[in-house]
Amino acid sequence: MPELERPTAAPAPGTGRRAKIVGFLCDFAVDASALTAPDGTMRDAPNVTLIKVPCSGFVRPAWLEFALRNGAEGTFVCGCPLGDCFNRLGNNLIGDRVVQLRRRFERQKIHPDRIAAIYFGLHDREEFLRAVKAFSEHVAQLPGPVVPAPRAPGGGPVRPAARPAAGSHVIEAGQTPPSAPQQAGPPPEAREGS
Amino acid sequence: MYSRALARLLAWTLRLDVAINRVYPEDFNPLYYTGGLSNLFLTVLVLSGIFLFLYYVPSFNDAYISVQFITDQVPYGLIIRGIHRYAADGFMIAVLLHFFRNWFTDRFRFSRDEPWISGMMLLLFAGFLGVTGYVLVWDQRSQLLVAMTGRTLGAVPWIGGWLETQWQGSAGISNLLLPRMLYLHVGPAVMLYILLWWHYVRIRHPKVWPPAVWTLFSLGLVFLLTGLLPATSQPAARPETVPTTLAVDWLFLLPYIGLKVLSPLALIALAVVITLYGLYIPYQLPETPAAMGIRDSGIAQVIDANCTGCELCYFDCPYNAIVMVPSPHPGVTKAAQARKLFAIVLESRCVECGICIGACPFEALELPRLLERDIQEKVVQACRS
Repeated sequence: MPELERPTAAPAPGTGRRAKIVGFLCDFAVDASALTAPDGTMRDAPNVTLIKVPCSGFVRPAWLEFALRNGAEGTFVCGCPLGDCFNRLGNNLIGDRVVQLRRRFERQKIHPDRIAAIYFGLHDREEFLRAVKAFSEHVAQLPGPVVPAPRAPGGGPVRPAARPAAGSHVIEAGQTPPSAPQQAGPPPEAREGS
Repeated sequence: MYSRALARLLAWTLRLDVAINRVYPEDFNPLYYTGGLSNLFLTVLVLSGIFLFLYYVPSFNDAYISVQFITDQVPYGLIIRGIHRYAADGFMIAVLLHFFRNWFTDRFRFSRDEPWISGMMLLLFAGFLGVTGYVLVWDQRSQLLVAMTGRTLGAVPWIGGWLETQWQGSAGISNLLLPRMLYLHVGPAVMLYILLWWHYVRIRHPKVWPPAVWTLFSLGLVFLLTGLLPATSQPAARPETVPTTLAVDWLFLLPYIGLKVLSPLALIALAVVITLYGLYIPYQLPETPAAMGIRDSGIAQVIDANCTGCELCYFDCPYNAIVMVPSPHPGVTKAAQARKLFAIVLESRCVECGICIGACPFEALELPRLLERDIQEKVVQACRS
């Protein structure tokens, strides 16, 4: 977890500001049920919301970018310790993908430290909490807007009606997310069981 | 009670991991490579075994002498014999660690029953190989082992006499014994590789070798032990008198200690019960993920329109549950129109982990009860709160 252990230089200007963080948490990694409220918000860090996923390898890198483009200031994925993935290689895969995504973010002028992959086993609650708080503080200090304003090819801001940049799914408030293709899965009422 | 004990064992296992991870980087935690270490020791055993096979004479009068000849006269014979001896111990330790670790961390669920069953058979064969290996030396321990094993097998109801004859090669101890033991040492060793194929066949990218430092460390440890405690034989076997005390090897000859307190029949019954229970472990769990109390997201589904046949999910699926077939028709999206291949999910192997979803850059895979849309809704909700 080198990206988390980087020492932070100075306290954030305007301390106490909390960055909105979305975390993807593997079902088999750290047991955060004692740390979170029913809606996934962490008790000790209310700016952090955890979304449980079946494996850290399940997370598409596009979802991390999606979170940043939809209001989160930082996102992380938490898997089991490297080498100990319940599904064998899921955490190695997401680790590689996060590294790739950081490179892509650098090209897109998004600060790469806004995403991270961290690895904590079932009982490492305190360490996990500490790492999440460190990440959240680090993200709060990062400069600039989360996502740079899109530019038209000739320079100057893009008007809202224009097509969004390729790969970004921006959702305005009150709008439904883009619908998944029709072939996928049973009707919505059958999905509530999960 | 049983599940509580297993939960505590899981907690201890993970705590041990955390402790070791403080010392080593996570990539080098030896407990994450017990399978690779076993394979390493097995390779060492096969290579040194071939060397010993060149000089070994499986006959009553010459077996002990030939082993002494290997030890004293053959160049490097003492070292190779010691390597064979200590690599066997290392193999057994690594195999047992692998067994207990995967048991306590539930690595036998869903479609991993095949590695589990083949692993149990590998364990049985490995123990048997150890016994026959000790017999081949044909010292007093070998003689006692043959006698004890024969007596134990003879106690089996109905087929006991037949089993005893099969074990010894003839009604009494005769010159047919050692060729048979040599075959029973080499044949099951070949069988190990057949079972290893079964052990790996459902697993994508199995970690077959440990990291290089652990390879060097294990080999160095074997060499060190060989130098410090050279492998030796006990006094030669004398057919007229059967020795009464067994020099115990705790790794391989543990069942023979049981003979002190158990009758042979009870020991065999115990062995059968333990073996059957070991084979039953993957099947004592409830059938469905919901009954196990874990998430049930459904078998991964391929979205025909989007699949480009790029094989990324095929490479990343940890259990070979995705196979690529010739595409029956072109996909719908622009990227999918020229596809040659098409991904298929084999339902019986899918563990619903969703790794293929993370691997797919074309949104061509979904877990039916945890769609990308659901995740995006959760993300948006989280950002609003």
